[in-house]
Amino acid sequence: MPFLQVEGLCKSFGGLKAVNNVTFDVAEGQIIGLIGPNGSGKTTTLNLLTGFLKPTAGAVTFKGENIIGRPRSQMCPKGIARTFQIVKPFLGLTALENVMVGKVYGRDSAKSLKAAAEESREALTRVGLADKARMLAKDLTLMQRKRLELARALAAKPQLLLLDELMAGLNPKEADDACALIQQIRQSKITILMVEHIVKAICALSDRIVVLNMGEKIAEGTPDEIICNPQVIDVYLGRAHA
Amino acid sequence: MSRTSPEQSRRIQIIFILLLIAILVALPQVIKSDSTINLAVYVLLFVSLASSWNILGGFSGQTNLGHAAFFGAGALTTRMLWLSGWNLFPSLLAGGLVAVALALLIGVPAFRLRGVYFAIGTLALSQILYITVGNMLPMISSLPAQDLAVYQLAPRYYLFLAIALFTIGAGYALINSRLGLGIMAVREEEDAAESLGVSALKHKLVALALSAFFGGLTGGAFAFYHVGYYPQLTFGPEWTFDALMMVYIGGMGTIVGPIIGAVFFVILRELLALNLAEMHLIVFGTLFILVVLFLPGGFMGVWGKISKALARQQ
Ligand SMILES: Nc1ncnc2c1ncn2[C@@H]1O[C@H](COP(=O)(O)OP(=O)(O)OP(=O)(O)O)[C@@H](O)[C@H]1O
Ligand SMILES: [Mg+2]
Repeated sequence: MPFLQVEGLCKSFGGLKAVNNVTFDVAEGQIIGLIGPNGSGKTTTLNLLTGFLKPTAGAVTFKGENIIGRPRSQMCPKGIARTFQIVKPFLGLTALENVMVGKVYGRDSAKSLKAAAEESREALTRVGLADKARMLAKDLTLMQRKRLELARALAAKPQLLLLDELMAGLNPKEADDACALIQQIRQSKITILMVEHIVKAICALSDRIVVLNMGEKIAEGTPDEIICNPQVIDVYLGRAHA
Repeated sequence: MSRTSPEQSRRIQIIFILLLIAILVALPQVIKSDSTINLAVYVLLFVSLASSWNILGGFSGQTNLGHAAFFGAGALTTRMLWLSGWNLFPSLLAGGLVAVALALLIGVPAFRLRGVYFAIGTLALSQILYITVGNMLPMISSLPAQDLAVYQLAPRYYLFLAIALFTIGAGYALINSRLGLGIMAVREEEDAAESLGVSALKHKLVALALSAFFGGLTGGAFAFYHVGYYPQLTFGPEWTFDALMMVYIGGMGTIVGPIIGAVFFVILRELLALNLAEMHLIVFGTLFILVVLFLPGGFMGVWGKISKALARQQ
């Protein structure tokens, strides 16, 4: 049984088919890249997997259990955590408190606030924000906010982590750091589904890549297969990559 | 100047709080003037009412424009039960619980709809109750002669003091708990909170229930305190808007802000002898607008900025 199984997933907004009959599997421990042009339905797919949107049709099973129709606040305790394309920090809370929310409410939650605070400090250290623990999230830079969002999701001890353009808006050096961070996360046996526009990064990190175009899956395979796929080159990568 | 460690400053805080409580407990023994005690009663009443509004409005970020409904429901329930022969404490508890029931009645549908429905719903609820109670109970509610003969101010004062401390203590315990962390997370960013496992609806309802409970208790204390009033009075919009203004002026979402706001507001009103409703609105309405425009964060926000600046100076 696959770890995550997506079958015939559809989502329409009025007449627009944002996600149309998308099917793919994710095996435990893998990193799956989800790519495609702007508006191809990547974020919508993540929203469907996390209960932020209800699909028009289709099925999603996570560890053998149907998760369609569950309230979105039940996904994290089940082991699915996510980040947002446009970061959503708790602006008025400190960095430490931001992470503590994941610790207290996530899967396998901390026994006490004190324990949560200690473990959250470690999570902040892991993403390089140890010295920012007492700063308010609204005083952090974009890069720091992205790291914070990642730390918060990791604090919830997910088995499946969905990342929506974690590297967008970062300079090359910061993007490299983010890559290293994701490599580290993979060591801790967390399965990752990541949306990213930086082709180099996604190819370096992913075991498999799923390509969407106008809501439909047009290709799936290893990074090597994907960068040679004529249809993918045509709609997304462009001639330069070929 | 030597700097104080966090433990030291925490100890100083605790000593200061205990001292303040001791003074408040001793007050009726020392001061024999009824008018001063009556003023203190109103200060404590509004400390409770503002702090209870703040549990929902400040910590969970939901704007309640009908807190008077909870204050009034508590007052009406407690007054009826107590005058019908119930003991005071069960009557007060019943008042708080009726307020909670009313709160959930409006909160469950309004929070599901999100947006401004809650603010409008609570305002409508309190106005409907205000009119309905005015029509159904048009007679003044006075204490019976035998109660009046033995009426004492001090026990009333102590009841208000106890409820104020209880309300403040509950707010403090809440924001230092797991539940409080979830409530504040929902206030800051609902989507992110839910993505981390916090149920927004549940956490808003908890904050609402607590807020209504303490609002209802405060109303119950008013029912025990007041010699004679029209039952409609306790449902009047001024209970809501006075409490709300105190919270904004003092500092929303903090423990100390509503306390400072209430003390400032009640004492200023007394000094200016603002018994005319219009004057009251003009003065406090203007003050409120000025604070919202120029001092977001209220007095506590200003204090925070000053102490930060001082810390940088050192
Ligand atoms: N809530 C919504 N209501 C209506 N249309 C929507 C909604 N969300 C997304 N869409 C539309 O669905 C399509 C897919 O959007 P989606 O955000 O999933 O794209 P994406 O692949 O994440 O793009 P990008 O790379 O720009 O982030 C777009 O045409 C978008 O305008
Ligand atoms: Mg997107």
